[in-house]
Amino acid sequence: MTAEKKTVSIYVMGKQSEVPYGVTIMKAMEYAGYRFIRGCGCRGGFCGACGTVYRKPGNFRLKVGLACATMVEDGMHLTQIPFYPANKAVYNLEALEPTLGTLLKYYPEITRCLGCNQCTRICPQELPVMNYIATAQRGDIEATAHQSFDCIMCGLCASRCPAEIVQYNVGILARRLYGRHIAPRAKHLAERVDEIRAGKFDAELDRLMQMSKEELQKLYNARDIEQ
Amino acid sequence: MYTPEMLRLIEVVEQTREKRLQETFPRLTAEEKTNLLRSYHPDYMEGAMRPLKIGPNAGEKLPHAYVDLFESRSMIDADGLSLDDIAYDVDVLVIGGGGAGTAAALLAAEEGADVLLVTKLRHGDANTMMAEGGIQAADKENDSPALHYLDAMGGGGFYNIPELVRALVNDAPLCIQWLESLGCMFSKYPDGTMNTIHGGGTSRKRMHFAHDYTGAEIMRTLRDEARNRGIKVVEFSPAVELIKDERGQCAGAVLYNLETEQFLVARAKTVIIATGGSGRLHINDSPTTNHYGATADGLVIAYRAGAKLIYLDATQFHPTGVAFPEQIVGQLVTEKVRGLGAQLVNIDGEQFIYPLETRDAVSSAIIRECRERQKGIPVPSGYGVWLDSPMIEIIHGKGTIEKELPAMFRQYIRFGINMAEQPILVYPTLHYQNGGILINEFAETQVPNLYVAGEASGGVHGRNRLMGNSLLDIIVFGRRAGKNAAQKAKTVQLGKLTLEHVRRYNEELAKQGLGQRVAPILLPDYRGKISG
Amino acid sequence: MSIPYFPGCTLHVKAKDLDDSTRAALAALGLELTELPEWTCCGAVFPLAQDNYMGMVAAARILANAAKLGDGRLVTVCSFCYHVLKRVNFAFRNRTEARNKLNEYLEEHYNGEVTLLHPLELIRDDVGFDVLQDRVYRRLKGLKVACYYGCTLSRPAEEMGFGEPENPTIMEELVAALGAEPVGFSWKTKCCGSYQVLNNAALAADRAQAVLEAASRQGAHVIITSCPLCRYNLERLPVGAAGKGESEARLPVLYFTQLLGIALQLPATTLGLDSHYLDALKEARA
Ligand SMILES: Cc1cc2nc3c(=O)[nH]c(=O)nc-3n(C[C@H](O)[C@H](O)[C@H](O)COP(=O)(O)OP(=O)(O)OC[C@H]3O[C@@H](n4cnc5c(N)ncnc54)[C@H](O)[C@@H]3O)c2cc1C
Ligand code: SF4
Ligand code: SF4
Ligand code: FES
Repeated sequence: MTAEKKTVSIYVMGKQSEVPYGVTIMKAMEYAGYRFIRGCGCRGGFCGACGTVYRKPGNFRLKVGLACATMVEDGMHLTQIPFYPANKAVYNLEALEPTLGTLLKYYPEITRCLGCNQCTRICPQELPVMNYIATAQRGDIEATAHQSFDCIMCGLCASRCPAEIVQYNVGILARRLYGRHIAPRAKHLAERVDEIRAGKFDAELDRLMQMSKEELQKLYNARDIEQ
Repeated sequence: MYTPEMLRLIEVVEQTREKRLQETFPRLTAEEKTNLLRSYHPDYMEGAMRPLKIGPNAGEKLPHAYVDLFESRSMIDADGLSLDDIAYDVDVLVIGGGGAGTAAALLAAEEGADVLLVTKLRHGDANTMMAEGGIQAADKENDSPALHYLDAMGGGGFYNIPELVRALVNDAPLCIQWLESLGCMFSKYPDGTMNTIHGGGTSRKRMHFAHDYTGAEIMRTLRDEARNRGIKVVEFSPAVELIKDERGQCAGAVLYNLETEQFLVARAKTVIIATGGSGRLHINDSPTTNHYGATADGLVIAYRAGAKLIYLDATQFHPTGVAFPEQIVGQLVTEKVRGLGAQLVNIDGEQFIYPLETRDAVSSAIIRECRERQKGIPVPSGYGVWLDSPMIEIIHGKGTIEKELPAMFRQYIRFGINMAEQPILVYPTLHYQNGGILINEFAETQVPNLYVAGEASGGVHGRNRLMGNSLLDIIVFGRRAGKNAAQKAKTVQLGKLTLEHVRRYNEELAKQGLGQRVAPILLPDYRGKISG
Repeated sequence: MSIPYFPGCTLHVKAKDLDDSTRAALAALGLELTELPEWTCCGAVFPLAQDNYMGMVAAARILANAAKLGDGRLVTVCSFCYHVLKRVNFAFRNRTEARNKLNEYLEEHYNGEVTLLHPLELIRDDVGFDVLQDRVYRRLKGLKVACYYGCTLSRPAEEMGFGEPENPTIMEELVAALGAEPVGFSWKTKCCGSYQVLNNAALAADRAQAVLEAASRQGAHVIITSCPLCRYNLERLPVGAAGKGESEARLPVLYFTQLLGIALQLPATTLGLDSHYLDALKEARA
């Protein structure tokens, strides 16, 4: 990462700008005078608002990245894709069964996957997207849930899918099915909820609420800390 | 990628690692902590604040960035805008599409209310999406809501409002169960027991998490559920002013369509502000962990409508913001990294603070180590200290970082740093708005029919929030706000809509020679700069 | 020794019994199968147009992924998967243009290095039917078995290389090694109705009926197959969709791996076998 050049040339939707070397696409665009309305959210790689496609000179490959996490390079041609239309199934999670049938009912198009692997190639989170669609296709909801877990729903995969699958919506359905219907429930949690409903802690909390700052402080400083 | 000089300094860290694995740095006594904060916490910096001249909190000292906002005039012409032309007419208007707003909308809808959620960016573009570390709840056998209460109070310097803390700790397990039933994939053991760890200032391991995408997992689940329930959402349409009726009740908001640049009137029987925090104000010129829309809009419009603020002078600096590489300076290194055993280490490879002190204390200690003791590591933006992340792999086994902290790992590997093998450089960064609009345990403000939930509210966390209590706060008070606002809406009779309070506020500003700027600012302006 | 294995979607869901019995029977013969770490659907149908490369790319990637494992072999048992993978592999080995085109879409270069094996071939080559004969615990003496290949295993002959296209014999050789008696059976490579079951159930039912009757005429007690769809059509259709009621020609239909498992005295549960099959078999031989 030794900077010979202090600036690089980028082309935002065809328009050339000189921007500092070594900054992210997002910061470079701002430096070049853009003020984002769309295409910018968390600025830290979590929200998927800033999907960007670009090409580099002399390379036919279409590249993608998050504008907030990809560095500018000299000669880069780019545009953001802050929105891509997607169908999202509407369901009552509670009433669903965690089966292949459920996935197919809401997203029958998953069987159309051609295995082209464009989605995996494009995913800025480097998730095995094709693979989590493959596991969905065979009803392995747990695998789909885990493999798609880091998805930030940027929509880039869906923008490239020849089978018109909206991978990330399949992913969240699988995760919610897993979390609701497959993962074992926390017993201690249910018990604690019952205790709270029964008012088990009310008296103690009442007492704490009445305490002066000094009394509380004493208790606080003396509390034992779980190792 | 580290510079050769940094790589040399890393060797120093490696040399002391084995010894440090055996040593626990002593905790601060209460007195040491007070002194440390007084001397080094940014809240106590000379010249960082000035008294506010207008509104319910006039006379209080606040950071300049807030005072600038509250002393700004409205975006709209209170006389020129017609309130007869109503674009949306609903029972409950929720302002803000983060975790608090979405939880509120869901509960309000469950109560049968007609709900509209308006938000500034996309639904879910919010601080909630960024929370990595976890969410607290006392649901283990060795824990209790009372212990949770004590921790939260102590963390907040005992300034917290008791009724709010009680609501927080009491509802906590209920909220986790609600999230579980919505399909949130919390990290669990095979028998369903929640995997929980410590956070700074906790006496029990009660931090629940979903890898290090805890906030994202909660946010996307709530958003998906809102979509399933058919809740109306209008994106890219921030509220820029509250509307009242002639009886002084809050009665809706003026929205601003960022794309068409039109003002739109939304009338509602009750209004919930859930606009989140204010990191993008860059208080003290600090970098921030916050999302693009964290500009305190909700505070501004509520303040003009007569709501009172509390503890807004207490700003939370997260002790471990990225100090290097430059591209991601200010972004968060989650507290979970320390929770899993990584120590803070100076240029000589020595520890200088117990890693899980409260955030204000750890931040102050890092600042002291760098400023006074000159034991920081130089980076382009100033200095940093080491966070010895490879210790995690030694303590919990190889591969733990990639498994438990995939987001963090990814963030660094993109820039050529492998945090499983190399320590990382950190420095405090502007993270959380400890105070906000004063609410009671029903999430009500002092303005009739105006509710607030989440980071925009104040009082729950006193002067310093503990990690994991904010994600909790947004669910607890989001739900309470939604439920109460919906129930209240059933009995509300609205009178004629008015922006009289805005007009009066502008007049008062003019009288005092203020109001040159316009607020809310909605989005920060980084044009022509390298910032944020 | 552990051999790369591609189960295929159907085996993962509906035909779990084929998957289970294949793994169990081969393991009993010392052939350990290891599922590919990542795999997708193979496409299920080989494209009709020679230049429909998109229709082959999924299968191509499965083969390329198998090549990375270095064993040089890939085992799959479902007849459809075997058909598609084998033909795509053939294209890689014999059609330069297909090879070049497909490689444009793959992450790793692949030249057809992998040898695709049906478990029948694997047993023949790695164990040997003569050796198998001695390893059988429960010889299936007196059991008359109709070996049903269906239309996908042996045709097109040049590409599949599964023996005589209209009269393959490898399944019969297995059956003989188990001590049972393979019956001659003219419909053994005729189509069972296949995917027509979705569009034209009556047509499929007629085909299935014909297969069953042909087997029955030869005195078969049981039909074996390696295809989940064949089994589905043969088993269910004559009773249900065709509306002809219980057919006289109704025979139990098993996967060949289940029959093998029985001969190897594997527990019925590991073979995904219902006890009524075992009873039916016992009765048949009695
Ligand atoms: C990087 C990071 C990590 C964190 N980690 C943790 C953690 O581990 N544990 C924990 O408990 N807490 C954590 N926090 C804090 C916690 O995530 C937030 O405090 C909390 O999520 C705030 O939720 P909220 O709903 O109040 O606000 P937000 O989630 O920020 O949502 C506010 C919403 O309001 C919208 N909005 C703003 N202005 C307007 C307007 N004028 N009109 C309409 N809409 C508007 C915004 O666009 C946004 O969608 C973290 C915070 C950050 C930034
Ligand atoms: S799976 Fe798709 S939506 Fe999710 S992060 Fe990857 S490209 Fe984006
Ligand atoms: S892009 Fe679509 S068709 Fe291609 S592999 Fe991914 S899901 Fe399948
Ligand atoms: S702005 Fe959120 S991922 Fe880039």
